[in-house]
Amino acid sequence: MQHENEITIKKQGDVTIMDIKGDITAFSDPFLSNAYQQAIVHDTRKIILKSNKEAYINSGGIALLIQLLAQIKRNNQRVVIAGISDHFKKIFTMVGITKFAPIYDTEEAALQILAAETK
Amino acid sequence: MATHLNARTVKIILPNILGYERIAMASSASFAKMFGFASERIEDLKTIVAEAAINAMQHGNKGHTDSEVTVTIRFKDNAIHVAVTDQGDGIAEILPRPDIDRIMNNLDPPVGFGVFLIQELADGVEFNKDTGDGHCVNIVVKKDSNQVEDAARK
Repeated sequence: MQHENEITIKKQGDVTIMDIKGDITAFSDPFLSNAYQQAIVHDTRKIILKSNKEAYINSGGIALLIQLLAQIKRNNQRVVIAGISDHFKKIFTMVGITKFAPIYDTEEAALQILAAETK
Repeated sequence: MATHLNARTVKIILPNILGYERIAMASSASFAKMFGFASERIEDLKTIVAEAAINAMQHGNKGHTDSEVTVTIRFKDNAIHVAVTDQGDGIAEILPRPDIDRIMNNLDPPVGFGVFLIQELADGVEFNKDTGDGHCVNIVVKKDSNQVEDAARK
């Protein structure tokens, strides 16, 4: 069974986008950690965690995302989430993730918001 | 006790391997669609079934790869009744609702989301029912949930 994530790091202005392909589960740990290490090489202050509407995200993946958000917060970086389905928007709101990372429908919408913020 | 399978009851037996909960998710989604559940409620059911199966694999069967998880799905009284059975001791402790502020500040470990989601999304949950050769979690997912009714009233 395939448990791998392909995570592409893109830089757009002062925003770094972590584009996560695949499901987010406990198996995503090394992929998310490596991608974040790559992202902070860019000395970024703003991050978009982008997934997609077809992704399956379970409790193990939610735990990893919260750990990543905690790390991002400790590093005084701003983070938003983009691209997830309406179901996972609801789940992330229930869990409280949206208190620390607002969710936008698309990468473009998230970029627009972050670009408008003071650097 | 053997489950009588019929047009309104199906049973899925999973190996105790993380990731195979997707089989039960997909089956439960097809089943719910047959009985006219709305897509939003089907997504809730998929998460509920996945998290209950993961709990059975990790905590009930303690990760033993020679164990099985049985998921029985039945449509009755305008609701889907899910029974997820492990071959172990059930869930040792029902963890309290995770507190994300404490987790973010490293005061609590990031655990308890599976049970929390099941409790939030389902219309009824009964944990750790002894089946004689394992433990079972019984879950009710109404076709028209209270969540939907509450949202409609707002």
